[in-house]
Amino acid sequence: MGFELAFYPGCLVLQRMPEYEAATRAVLRGLGIELEIVQQATCCGSPVAESFTADWVYLAAYNLALVEQMGHGTVVTVCGGCTNTLTRAARALQDPACSHRAEANRRLAPVGLSVTGQVEVKHLVRLLAEREEQLRAQIVRPLSLRVALTNPCQVFRPSDVMGFDDPAEPQSLRRLVELTGAQVVEYGGEDECCGATLYLADPSLALAAGRRKLEATQGADLLLHGCGNCQLLLRRFQRLIIRDEPDLRKQALLLPQLIGLAMGLPEEELGLREGIWR
Amino acid sequence: MNHPESCIQCGTCATVCPVEMVGGHAIVSFLADPDTTDYSVWLCTSCWRCQEACPAGVDIYGLMMEQRRAVNQQAPAGYQAAFESILACGAALEVPQEELNQVRAAWGLEPVKLPPPGLARSLLRSDE
Repeated sequence: MGFELAFYPGCLVLQRMPEYEAATRAVLRGLGIELEIVQQATCCGSPVAESFTADWVYLAAYNLALVEQMGHGTVVTVCGGCTNTLTRAARALQDPACSHRAEANRRLAPVGLSVTGQVEVKHLVRLLAEREEQLRAQIVRPLSLRVALTNPCQVFRPSDVMGFDDPAEPQSLRRLVELTGAQVVEYGGEDECCGATLYLADPSLALAAGRRKLEATQGADLLLHGCGNCQLLLRRFQRLIIRDEPDLRKQALLLPQLIGLAMGLPEEELGLREGIWR
Repeated sequence: MNHPESCIQCGTCATVCPVEMVGGHAIVSFLADPDTTDYSVWLCTSCWRCQEACPAGVDIYGLMMEQRRAVNQQAPAGYQAAFESILACGAALEVPQEELNQVRAAWGLEPVKLPPPGLARSLLRSDE
């Protein structure tokens, strides 16, 4: 039986990666889950707003208030950053010892909203990991690919807030990839941040971090990401990383694109318009 | 910045930091060696690895954010531009409403409504 969850794509996916949303929707539809997008959402608040003001939490509170107004108890996210930020904010809003909730409601009143923080923020990896058996039954086209994955950092850390999987060596993404029949190639950097956020402060360091990953994953057919930021750096900016060394070129897919392929969904629906090898 | 009292200068944070791995110096450089001035609080990827690994439970992320907000810290252009965009349109990147929905329609995605301009600024009280 199908059901519906709220969906918060975040700035990056909403404005730059429609393929991530399309693939996420296609895979979840196969599991009987429809997504209702959060209308009029703003940036989650971190790390940018948080770097300038402690009031970032009210930006997150606004987005949580929208989810509450929709009548949903769970909001699905696809980036690590939004997942982490909204979860930390929900935790702060629920804390009776903290004044955040009263202040958030004071700021939200002029736009006719209120917030309790009683929203579960669930990243796609977690949502799918909870449905492993259901997903297994949907795999009709097992993939024979060698995949190098990067765990989305902020989905698992800080563990006292995120409370999901092993924060040092998470296993859920690896298990989901293996479910597709693909082989996970170990390269030692699975738990190392891609470095995308560095691009805001020092583009050359960000590209160096991306290059480090590309060099370490040469034994794999493709890179696999569960966060828009990883995909931004390692796919969209890949040409900047390997400008002088085209041999390092590597295909990079988002988790729902890989799973969707194994579910036999059309490449077009998964945002792979030019085919898996672009 | 004052070196946090609970930090035992073991340097564990610096060994797991992705910035240090590519030759940059983030706040973990300062934690491992309070005498160093060769680091930037803006060089952090928010991966939380240092905080998770810290045996002394130092709130490294909180410390780093606090330092970023300190008035004497000049934000890099990328952060500054993204913050100004958030204040103006609510998102770190600005895409006009109509264009966004044209792209979404081409991908078979339902239209989406962007937040009213100035809303983020008022939530962050940056208009006061």
